[in-house]
Amino acid sequence: MSEKNFNVIGKGKPRYDGRVKVTGAAKYCGDLKFPNMLYGKMLGSPYAHAKILSIDTSEAMKIPGVKAVITAKDVPSLKYGISPARWDENCLCIEKALFVGDKVAAVACVDEETCYKALKAIKVEYEVLKPVLDYMHADEDDMPQIHEKYAKNINTEIHQEFGDIKKAFAEAHYVRTDTFVGQRCYQCPIEPHSAVCIWQDNKLTVYSSTQSVHYFQHYIAREFELPMGDVRVIAPFVGGGFGGKLEPTGLEFNGAALSRITGRPVKMFYDRQEMFQHNRGRHQGTYKITSGVDKDGKILGCHVDFQTDGGAYTSLGIATAYYAGALLPLTYEIPVYKFDNRRMYTNLPACGAHRGHGAPQPKYAFESHMDNIAKAMGIDPLDIRLRNARRPNTETVNNFKVNSCGMKECLERAGELSDWRKKKKEGLPKGRGIGISTGSFVTGAGYPIYRTDLPHASCMIRVHEDGTSATLYSGTVDIGQGSHTILCQMAAEAMGYRYENMKMVASDTETCPLDFGAYASRQTLMSGSAVKQAGEEIYRQIIDMASTMLNLPPEDLKCELGVISSISRPKVAPITFEEVARRFFVLRGPLIAKGVYTPPRLGGTFKGAPVGTSPAYSFCVQAAEVQIDEETGKIDVERVWDVHDVGQVINPVNLHGQVHGALYMGLGETIWEQVHFDSNGKIVNGNLGGYMIMTALDMPPITSEVLEDSYEIAGPWGAKEVGEGATNPTIGAFRNAIFDAMGVSVNSVPLTYEKVWRALKEKRESENK
Amino acid sequence: MYLPDFEYYAPDSIAEACKLLSQFGPRAKVLAGGTDLIAKMKNEVLKPEILISIKKLDQMKKIEYVPGKGVVIGARSTHNDLVNSKVLNEKYLSISEAAHQMAANQVRNAGTVGGNISNAVPSADLPPIFIALNAAVKVTGVKGERSLALEDVFAGPGKTNLTQDEIITEVIIPDQKMTGSNYIKFGLRGAGALAVVGVAVAVQVENNVIKDARVALGAVAATPVRAKKTEEFLKGKKVSDEVLAEAGVIASGECKPISDVRASAEYRTDMVRVFTKRALRAAIDKGHV
Repeated sequence: MSEKNFNVIGKGKPRYDGRVKVTGAAKYCGDLKFPNMLYGKMLGSPYAHAKILSIDTSEAMKIPGVKAVITAKDVPSLKYGISPARWDENCLCIEKALFVGDKVAAVACVDEETCYKALKAIKVEYEVLKPVLDYMHADEDDMPQIHEKYAKNINTEIHQEFGDIKKAFAEAHYVRTDTFVGQRCYQCPIEPHSAVCIWQDNKLTVYSSTQSVHYFQHYIAREFELPMGDVRVIAPFVGGGFGGKLEPTGLEFNGAALSRITGRPVKMFYDRQEMFQHNRGRHQGTYKITSGVDKDGKILGCHVDFQTDGGAYTSLGIATAYYAGALLPLTYEIPVYKFDNRRMYTNLPACGAHRGHGAPQPKYAFESHMDNIAKAMGIDPLDIRLRNARRPNTETVNNFKVNSCGMKECLERAGELSDWRKKKKEGLPKGRGIGISTGSFVTGAGYPIYRTDLPHASCMIRVHEDGTSATLYSGTVDIGQGSHTILCQMAAEAMGYRYENMKMVASDTETCPLDFGAYASRQTLMSGSAVKQAGEEIYRQIIDMASTMLNLPPEDLKCELGVISSISRPKVAPITFEEVARRFFVLRGPLIAKGVYTPPRLGGTFKGAPVGTSPAYSFCVQAAEVQIDEETGKIDVERVWDVHDVGQVINPVNLHGQVHGALYMGLGETIWEQVHFDSNGKIVNGNLGGYMIMTALDMPPITSEVLEDSYEIAGPWGAKEVGEGATNPTIGAFRNAIFDAMGVSVNSVPLTYEKVWRALKEKRESENK
Repeated sequence: MYLPDFEYYAPDSIAEACKLLSQFGPRAKVLAGGTDLIAKMKNEVLKPEILISIKKLDQMKKIEYVPGKGVVIGARSTHNDLVNSKVLNEKYLSISEAAHQMAANQVRNAGTVGGNISNAVPSADLPPIFIALNAAVKVTGVKGERSLALEDVFAGPGKTNLTQDEIITEVIIPDQKMTGSNYIKFGLRGAGALAVVGVAVAVQVENNVIKDARVALGAVAATPVRAKKTEEFLKGKKVSDEVLAEAGVIASGECKPISDVRASAEYRTDMVRVFTKRALRAAIDKGHV
């Protein structure tokens, strides 16, 4: 089991970057300024689907202060994307614009104001085409085809079957089908996307608010046919990403082109409305689930049949489409499984990875379906989950190897914390209900986004010549989740050093060793494994040097919190890490070490098998208690309990912050958030007044706990993910709490007050008949 | 988004402001708190070429009781001025409470009473409680002052019955016999949400009998509206749950809501029923206007 005598990890160390962020000293990409810098903006299509007949930029070019106006002919025509299987996007639209806001032209001007004037002066002649706005009907004969290569507007089609589903249903005691519907959501990071591109002396430097400097470097170099070494990508402080800043955008590509043309740095940025249009947020989908269970409610087989709205481009959507079904067999042991999904193209903004990538909406459908089965069979919702809960050291039907798994313990503990049994036995007051739901998520993707044999993570540690500080060099990105803090804690723990003396140079492809960045909840385990290895190498060198200095064998020495002492001879005066490090530098040169991490080969061999593979999976349970206003449908959230199996906790303050943050997003998507469009495909609520994320007044009290004894063999010191998994159970827990309170099922999200009101009204009307 | 160019004036007197408005005609707009105007200009919903700021007109920023006239609220008072006004807290706490439910603190610090009225947004939070309390507005134009009932200010969404040169300078709450009043805003989240339905009521209850009642509805018609049939029904009735429930049903028949992304017309109509009933109960029980 886990070694609990840690000096640095497991402790709520203050944020590495907390002070600069709260004082406003931290510089985000939008704060950056360079001599001679120009400002750039892109012109968006006013139509959801339109042929571009001509573009006249001559009037725009006449405006004083306009330095460049570009269209498709001025930028590479190579299609890009983030999923290599479907590169389908251009820097600027060539023949057609595919959604309202699709990029048609770009300008670089001496200031922001001139940009807007220049955009207004660009004359574009469009032939307006019929748009495809409804993903459920996108494949019909009278629908125009959006992309030449993709018939019936099918972007991705998935058909997987594990075992004989017909046989499983035939042998089942009870078979049930339910269908649930999800909505389009947007991540709403507080920091808008921006990029400063500087193309000078045959080298392109890009400052960007990105989640991954590596993928940006790779794709930008590819687009401009540059060696990776001539493209430097730097992420300054980043104000949130949640999946929406994982892929390069028109800001980087067109900014680079404009910088090359003008020879000056160009800053490009989205405003809030443009962020909503660029999107890459949550896919909406229709989720049909059929399960067969035995007389005790044990699952014998499941068939999930989904259709999702991908929008105009692929983005990360192929992975989303696979994740939607691939992760469902994790929390419950499903012996036979069939998974069908079609991701459709529409003339709406492209959808991508959004915290919990592909999983939360299908999970809502599945957890609601579980409660429907439980109710029909007279089984307590907690019991049906306990009976099906995954056990540790098992493999899912789709070949995911699960090591540590506290599913059962999480369920039991959430039951205790929420007083589930008592509430079920004695009943709750009128209008009050409690629901429970499970979740699981990858701790880093088993395979990179594009095919490569490069390691997933690497790093370097350099101890300063006098030993008073050590710098961790890592290509990771702290997008607000606190990864710098925990990686410095890990480095200090492994080195026998102090967290407070750690420095970090990160998120820069030129100064930092490769790391794939912040997505798929990967940095704690993957980047952390590399950091642990590098730290342990420093530790070994320090002990070796100290052994010479003290004339004691290395195995008799230990280094803790920067103090080296003898294990067997307590009377030997300890020496400090600083003294030893300085001596090391004098005699041997820089004290440096490297670490590298590549996951083991994971998963099956069937089509799509890599998506969902991971060295380790987190597990969690949420219970929610609500009070429903019977007349209005208003949902008051009384409390939420979250119990997590995250392996070894590196920083408990950070961890619970992640749970609270995930619940904030999850609950927002549950009750409030939805991107709405008019009948022409234009967003009607692309701002923070109309798109309703929660306010502080809406945040319920939360109890967040972890399983204390969890240890994950694949993770550094036994650690695994928390950042995304906590978004998984939320919607289901609330739907089930409303179901418990009022006996009505709301079969689509968001679970708005009006939908609850309508469900209650329909129930009353059917009872009166 | 960007704020287009405009000419800017900050006159020293109301008369001068009216003169400028008259001179520039529909090309000009009055700038007070700017919480609505500036956002609409950025979104190109409104395109004024000239903004006439009334920030120097401090005489429009008072809240006081004038014997024989009533409580006079200067149109430049901010929503937080209403929240914190001693005069209102003592005489019309329901107005302070209504103002407190608006938007978010930042907007309440900047947005003004006059702006909330003259924007004529159907979901505005102040008009219903003002109408329930029989408020009048004083407007000043190049031809002088006139007074009109607040409910007569509105002509449609974003439209008022004011002429181009007129500025709302005061809202006047007359002395009255009402014993209780209340505004319920039903928004979809805890703050920063527009009313899906707003119901304001004022009642005069003596010996458990409703002598007089005024009911005003927000966000359920092209303008804030009085529910006059409901008022007539309530007059002379003994207070009971049944009577209040019946009043809710009548009020729900007096609104003409639209469906939008926030709510359907059907839901809004039923919420008028629910919140009229609840607003009446609260106005009767809490014992203050």
